[in-house]
Amino acid sequence: MTAFLRFEIVRSLRNVRFVVFIAGFPVLLYLIYAKQTGTSQGLTVAAILMVSMAVWSGMGSAMFATGPQLAKERQSGWMRQLRVAPISAPRWFLAKLAQGLLLIIPGFVLLILLGFGYGHVHLAAGRVAVLAAVLLLGVIPFCVLGLVIGLVFDGQTAQVAQMLTMVVLAFLGGIFIPYSNLPHVMQDIARALPSYHLAQLGWNAVAGRALGVEHMLALAAWAVALGLIAVWRWRQESTTA
Amino acid sequence: MTTNHRGAAGPAVAFRDVVKVYHPDIKALDHVSFDIQPGETVALLGPNGAGKSTAIDTMLGLRTPTSGEVRILGGSAAAAVAAGQIGGMLQTGGLPEAARVAELISLFRQLYRDRRSTAELLTLAGIDDLADRRVERLSGGQTQRVRFALALAGNPELLFLDEPTAALDVAARRHFWQSVDRIAGQGTTVLFATHYLEEADANATRIIVVNHGRVIADGTPARIKAVTATRTLRFSTPAPDPSELLKLPGVSDVVVNGDAVTVRTGEADDTLPALYALGHRIAGLEVGGGGLEEALIALTSTDNGAIMERVS
Repeated sequence: MTAFLRFEIVRSLRNVRFVVFIAGFPVLLYLIYAKQTGTSQGLTVAAILMVSMAVWSGMGSAMFATGPQLAKERQSGWMRQLRVAPISAPRWFLAKLAQGLLLIIPGFVLLILLGFGYGHVHLAAGRVAVLAAVLLLGVIPFCVLGLVIGLVFDGQTAQVAQMLTMVVLAFLGGIFIPYSNLPHVMQDIARALPSYHLAQLGWNAVAGRALGVEHMLALAAWAVALGLIAVWRWRQESTTA
Repeated sequence: MTTNHRGAAGPAVAFRDVVKVYHPDIKALDHVSFDIQPGETVALLGPNGAGKSTAIDTMLGLRTPTSGEVRILGGSAAAAVAAGQIGGMLQTGGLPEAARVAELISLFRQLYRDRRSTAELLTLAGIDDLADRRVERLSGGQTQRVRFALALAGNPELLFLDEPTAALDVAARRHFWQSVDRIAGQGTTVLFATHYLEEADANATRIIVVNHGRVIADGTPARIKAVTATRTLRFSTPAPDPSELLKLPGVSDVVVNGDAVTVRTGEADDTLPALYALGHRIAGLEVGGGGLEEALIALTSTDNGAIMERVS
């Protein structure tokens, strides 16, 4: 399994689209907007945005491990080749999950450095650690979401589906615009989305507030629900294919 | 050189009365039965759509048969895959982008626990010069050779190759079959699908011919070729005498329609001189046959089961 994990990580880091996605895009946004003055709920814009961009980067990295890449590899026949090699489906999935979690690290480190160096965010080491833990566990439903996209869509449409999902989740989750600025209807929708709960956990971690059990439960529920869809699709494909 | 350690005796593949139905009216496999013994090199010969890939996918555990029994090395296909006992080169199989050839080979060697050295794999597949190449920069033939290396990584007891030479040029093809021969010599049981009679004849110790999801012949290449060597001679001659024509060497069948004559022969080289020696005027002679399609017609029209010799 570690051989497979290493193989997949090397491939991801060579992928230009992935590097732009996890690093280029959030860094650029941070450089543009972090200098705005103002505070909200005791956090500076620079601190809020550091968390927002880390969540965006983490969501993207987590979904990249599967998502369009999986769709393409199902189509090309690579997944079938793997299925006749001695790597079981559960081990494959664990490796994919580990890949998604490990790949959020570079984007996270970059944004923390940027937040500290450029945004003058002051944060105790303990809070950084809590934020890291929140992101690491909190992106699990997004890994599974990528799996569902990769299993449901084909090679061409998965890319579009992934981008749309990311953008919708980010906007409604309050990552690009503050949640409180959204119309009420959208706020109701937002409260159902995993991106909203992950961002809330992130901001709570940085502000030193209680993280909020309801957010954790919501993310866990998403992971389980998406996991069931993924298993169903996986079974469907391996029996009829 | 590596050698395989065989488990208990018994067929490497047992395919018993296997049916695979995709659509209510399409039977990809229609009550197919055969055993493959350890050490055999078997060709699954048939035209496109005959059911070859479905049969191989079923043996690899990629498809579940609608009914019938499939035993691989004495157990289920899934168990053989999990134990790393089988290697498979599928008909279609893209390689994952952004990987180098050497990385792919290293991955498969680790999945199969280092059963064959990298150097040996590169040589067997004929890709020594491609180790550092990125997958995206491989041609179709190069991709196919890399996939061959991956299928061999576990030094499998049983190797499945589904139309393995489709994208290879003549030189690569020759190298490929030399490597298969070497692997078979080390004790690996090989099953390959092809729609070329010559390829099956030159590289297999046994040929199973399938068409429309059924086994229509199963025997040594010599037996299969004897039947498929049937040629059809068409000509016209004034007032043909069927009984005279039937006595010509090799002739199995004569059809007369006015002046037009159709003769089927297994020994065209002997029939033709004898035909001319009769001294009749022969006009418009055509010799048909030789292709797989013709061979299939010949095989199908032979009494069913005539070439079902068991290879034990």
